[in-house]
Amino acid sequence: MEKERKYICLSPVGNELPVKTYPLARRLDKLDGKTIHFSITGEPDITIALEKRLKQDYPGVNWTTKKSYTPMPVYLTEEEMKTTDAVILGVCW
Amino acid sequence: MDKVMDALTIPLTDKEKASGTWIPTSDDRIIFEGTMDEAEKFFHQTEYVSHPVNAPIARFTDGLPVRVPTEERVAEMLKGTSHKPDEIVTYQSDRRGWKGPVKKGDPVLFHPMNWTATVEKVAACAVMAGCQPEHFPAVLAIAESTCYIASTHTFGQWLCVSGPFAKEVEMNSGCGMLGPGNIANSTIGRTYEIMARNLGGAIPGINRMTSLGSPFEGSRCCAENTDALPPGWQGLNEEGGYRKDESVILVHPHVNDGIRGVQFSPGGYRAFQKSGHGGIARKLGVKGIPGPHNWLEFLIDEFWAGREGAKTIIMNPEMARHLYEYGFKTKEAVYEWLYKKSFIPLSRYRNYSWVDLHTNGWLGVEPISGKHWKELPDDYLVPAAENPFAFCIVVGGGDEEVSHQLSSHQHLGINPYYSIDAWR
Repeated sequence: MEKERKYICLSPVGNELPVKTYPLARRLDKLDGKTIHFSITGEPDITIALEKRLKQDYPGVNWTTKKSYTPMPVYLTEEEMKTTDAVILGVCW
Repeated sequence: MDKVMDALTIPLTDKEKASGTWIPTSDDRIIFEGTMDEAEKFFHQTEYVSHPVNAPIARFTDGLPVRVPTEERVAEMLKGTSHKPDEIVTYQSDRRGWKGPVKKGDPVLFHPMNWTATVEKVAACAVMAGCQPEHFPAVLAIAESTCYIASTHTFGQWLCVSGPFAKEVEMNSGCGMLGPGNIANSTIGRTYEIMARNLGGAIPGINRMTSLGSPFEGSRCCAENTDALPPGWQGLNEEGGYRKDESVILVHPHVNDGIRGVQFSPGGYRAFQKSGHGGIARKLGVKGIPGPHNWLEFLIDEFWAGREGAKTIIMNPEMARHLYEYGFKTKEAVYEWLYKKSFIPLSRYRNYSWVDLHTNGWLGVEPISGKHWKELPDDYLVPAAENPFAFCIVVGGGDEEVSHQLSSHQHLGINPYYSIDAWR
């Protein structure tokens, strides 16, 4: 191998893909009277206390919850999305 | 907590309202031009990763020197497959992947950054790992696995080839098959980590957070000794739904308590099987009775000492033959026996760290009865293994009687078998 020879080296680095970006969800004008979904994932830890406090401190909210045991949430159904004003996703793992 | 709730009503900024498409910077095919000395310096550069690593980490390698992927070397590597250099690596069959079902032809998104790769980029990685062109189909099969790296505990993947390919490239399925020395075993295994770093963008302390790390993090590949399987025992290729004459690679996670090493002293084991002497015979109540005895009986108490889940057991050919002679005429018979032995009282089961993770863990629902644990008595028996076929037996290794037990159940819910033949 010649010491001064120039070599072309090929990239081993993967290709990034274009990503569609979306606006964040529309915010609420108020909390009272709204249906807010608390989506709980993974190991039940702080989410146990958080669920209790949210319901206690915000009694005017119509709270709904779903729990999963992995980092992936249980998705809302199409019908539930129509009646849900906001979602809080608690990722815990 | 107030911040969480306030975020629901604070109006969005213009930036938060924006939509569009994020376009990546250019993906150059050529990454460097220069002399060999300069190229070696380029590929061996590091970047400092602060806490929790606090040390330099290699940008392109696994930390060891690599062969520089010159255009000529990569072209030579590409002779090992019929797939075109600019072909995007795609799934070669419908399967269940780490993130759910995927279809044949879907692009493989390498973990963790969800990047894609061409066959040529995989070839560059294979050159860096020291592979020969004849190894390349196995490397592409590993690439199809997404080179998954994840999790906080001692998470790793190890690789096992099953089928004629192992002999074609002279892999070691005998003594020290998971250790150093054989070029095919070592270089094919090494590609996993080099691909994870380059094709997946995996960086310790940034997006791969295994706290201690593991020597199994994509570095070890072995081959099953199919010639040594007892009569009626299927090879891994057949267990994975392939034919005996087809070659596959098992990309196999291992988690948590990792690998439990040599389980017997060979002399003690021989005395147990031949004349029924020694501690093993005493524990099994077969003192003075010549074998064959079911040696798994000796180990079974410890299988679920730490957590639930089926196990993978690597055993040498003689120990597999002892199980056959004892009465297990198929691997499935061993799997059924292990599953039945996995039943433990609920009072013990519910104290595991990962209780029933794969069905409804932490929700407190026992999977067979469907009842909440609170409704069941303490002595209610729960299987610590998901099902009989989550176990895995690999036959290989040397002549001294040892077995290894890997903590992982076979595939954490994914299909771990990847066709090598599809990538020839």
